[in-house]
Amino acid sequence: MPLYQYLFRRILFSIPLLLGITVVAFLIANAVPADPINANLPQNALNNEKLVTAFREKWGLDKPPYIQYLTYLKNLLRGDLGISIKTKNPILEDIKQFLPATFELATFSILIGLVLGISFGVTSAVWRNSWADYLVRVFALIGVSFPVFLLALVALSVFHAKLGWTAGPGRLSFLVKDPPHVTGLFTLDSLLAGQWKTFRDAVSHLVLPSSVLGIFVSGIIARMTRSSLLEVLSRDYIRTARAKGQIEPKVILRHALSNALIPVVTILGVLYGNLLAGAVLTESIFAWPGIGRYAFRASTSQDFPAIMGISMLIALIYVVANFIVDILYFLIDPRIRYS
Amino acid sequence: MLNRFFTKFTLSAVLLAMALGIALAQDEKVIVIGHAEVAEAYDPAHAYSPTGGMVNRATYSTLVTFPDTDASSIEPLLASSWTISDDGLVYTFMLRDDVKFANGDPITAEDVVFSINRLKNVKAQPSFLADPIVSVEAADASTVSITLSEARPSFLSELTNSAFSVLNAEVVMANGGTDAADAAETDKAMDYLDQTSAGSGPYMLESWKPQEETVLVRNPNYWGNAPYFDRVIIVNIPEAATQKVALESGDIDLATDLSPDQVVGLEGNPDIGIFRGPGSATHFLLMNRDPEIGGPMANPLVAKAVRYALDYQGYRDLWAGSVTPGTNMWIGLAGAYGQDKAITRDLDMAKSLMAEAGYAEGFETTLSYPDFTFNGVNLSTNAQKIQADLAEIGITVNLNPGEVQVSLEEYRNGQQGFGYWFWGPDKLDPVDFLEFLPGGKVATDRTKWTPEMAPQDILDLIAQAKVESDASVRTDIFNKLQDYAQAEGAFAPFNVPAVQTAFRSNIKGYVWHPQWSLDVALLSRTE
Repeated sequence: MPLYQYLFRRILFSIPLLLGITVVAFLIANAVPADPINANLPQNALNNEKLVTAFREKWGLDKPPYIQYLTYLKNLLRGDLGISIKTKNPILEDIKQFLPATFELATFSILIGLVLGISFGVTSAVWRNSWADYLVRVFALIGVSFPVFLLALVALSVFHAKLGWTAGPGRLSFLVKDPPHVTGLFTLDSLLAGQWKTFRDAVSHLVLPSSVLGIFVSGIIARMTRSSLLEVLSRDYIRTARAKGQIEPKVILRHALSNALIPVVTILGVLYGNLLAGAVLTESIFAWPGIGRYAFRASTSQDFPAIMGISMLIALIYVVANFIVDILYFLIDPRIRYS
Repeated sequence: MLNRFFTKFTLSAVLLAMALGIALAQDEKVIVIGHAEVAEAYDPAHAYSPTGGMVNRATYSTLVTFPDTDASSIEPLLASSWTISDDGLVYTFMLRDDVKFANGDPITAEDVVFSINRLKNVKAQPSFLADPIVSVEAADASTVSITLSEARPSFLSELTNSAFSVLNAEVVMANGGTDAADAAETDKAMDYLDQTSAGSGPYMLESWKPQEETVLVRNPNYWGNAPYFDRVIIVNIPEAATQKVALESGDIDLATDLSPDQVVGLEGNPDIGIFRGPGSATHFLLMNRDPEIGGPMANPLVAKAVRYALDYQGYRDLWAGSVTPGTNMWIGLAGAYGQDKAITRDLDMAKSLMAEAGYAEGFETTLSYPDFTFNGVNLSTNAQKIQADLAEIGITVNLNPGEVQVSLEEYRNGQQGFGYWFWGPDKLDPVDFLEFLPGGKVATDRTKWTPEMAPQDILDLIAQAKVESDASVRTDIFNKLQDYAQAEGAFAPFNVPAVQTAFRSNIKGYVWHPQWSLDVALLSRTE
């Protein structure tokens, strides 16, 4: 099957998926036994019938749910995600404001996670049952099971407050001005503007949160890489490669690892999607103005339009991430091409 | 040659400009405040949130205001003086003649009329504050009269709310604003006013990135004393633990949201200063006047004995920075009895009152309270001390901590015979205290202390308190009512825990305020 046909099929599958997500998101948002009026009007205003009615009408809360849903869908097709009750901004604007911060953090985190995870996984598999293997396995266990918020707080108080090695909360030091907006990614924008100081500051602020998330990711990747590599290493073709007299590093890196990474790629899509969907706790602790924090605030204040918008965004992120994973699959696993 | 000269000239000019820029940047006095932002708007007619109150306190002025630390009196701000008609319906304000907006425009009575009408007509969250207002009129350029639908002695206190900020009408109208009756649909100035201010406060709003940061810069045309800082950066740090780390490492100068435990953890750190002042919650015991519910506690003599049996000093020692209230009237309100007029422990007196009530041998009762920690004060800790205090006059108290919602329901329905609760004023005005007197919500609904149980002269005073607007007459009325509550009341207020805030030790001037929580214009830094 040629690539374009494969891609077309994938895109076609995504449409009902996204539509289904709008329904689920809408049902969940409406099934919550909480009243958006209580959440958004102050106590004193709640006693005022006029204000309550005005609020209901303004946000369409007086209409039956299916009308609310259809209106939403109609607007969505026009690219209009609606207006947030809480911020009063178009949700697309809010997403534009908060997504780049999360995108930058997630990308750094996944890179750290990949580098650490794969090298640890390989080390652990190659020197199986050695002290290095045990060390990696303990590290991976801690990475996966240690609460991220605790790790974040400890990292912040040790590496920032006590030792002063890295910058603290926020995307930039509070007195440093944002670089001119191009992509919204501060590292990239500061480089484009030639602002080296801002670039260094932005990277320094990324170190802690992305390491915290990266360690979590690397734990999963290390375990995955290890088990998958161990399995591949026991295959016949590896014995053949060795029998041919190929040197061990080449056997492992070229023949074994490239095949062992296929399941890692699968999980990578999910992990990256996870990070992009917002690491709420990490973003909160590092005062990182990202989409996770925005989503949290939207859900605690029953901001239905924002909750729906974020749900759509997250769904879209997963669909795209999996789409990319599928393409990668196609490229690295010949079996798919020939099936 | 000429070319080289120009190159040199340009180069030195650029260098000079850079040096100047750096020097200027360094000279600018900046404070960074770590704050958990709760704001949906900064437009005064739409903002009704803690952050909005704090920011608009800095960027706007109201007609009248409170003192810097409490709500004990009404002070002039844009209005130099005011009169209230005898029927309490018409308030006439004379504006100062030296006040200007940040852009240099003079402030006129028309701006006041516009601002109040806009607040009323945009029908946004704080608009209910303008509900009692029937009309606002400018008699001349510096005189405004506001007519109310009924006498409302708390009106001046309500006018201190930043919702009543005076906006530059011309600027707001030029940016889509209107005060017309249909302003709810036609006013388009909110986006503008969320990004910049059109007021006359010590600061101007430079920018707001919701959930990220708010930047204020000094108002060059401020008519009052210039504030110390040129620039105030309020960064949103939702997590209190992060605020603490950021404060310790000097990333921020002041943290607004630390829990009392976290503040205690900062004690002894030479880089950190701590503010402790009485907060707005009064902790009190209620003794139900219905004998079916309250049992022996329904007896006014027993209630009085309880007031004399409590070890007030002990609660102050328990909660650093707390004070003892005189009555259930919050101590920051005009005329409220403070610690100097509070009841002090007198066990002999308490025992003789018990004997007089016929309970010389004591009795057994149950104290109901929510199992809850509010602003760092654990109610169970206090309940255990209450148990120990009352044991000394023969009252055996069984503790009945309840799940918050369940206990609250019992309290609101008046089902608790002997309860322990706390109260923060709904209104920063003495009338708030009427809730704790016969006919009031807490007294009558929750404690069954009904008007039938009170003498006529007290009922007359309560009725007068609801309409009287003359400040000195009010003080007199509320003094009498407080004396009555101390002698005959169904409550035993015993502690007002502290508000605690931490900042870098070189920051001076921090005070907490019940209305706007923080006035950034009062802050300075020791060099």
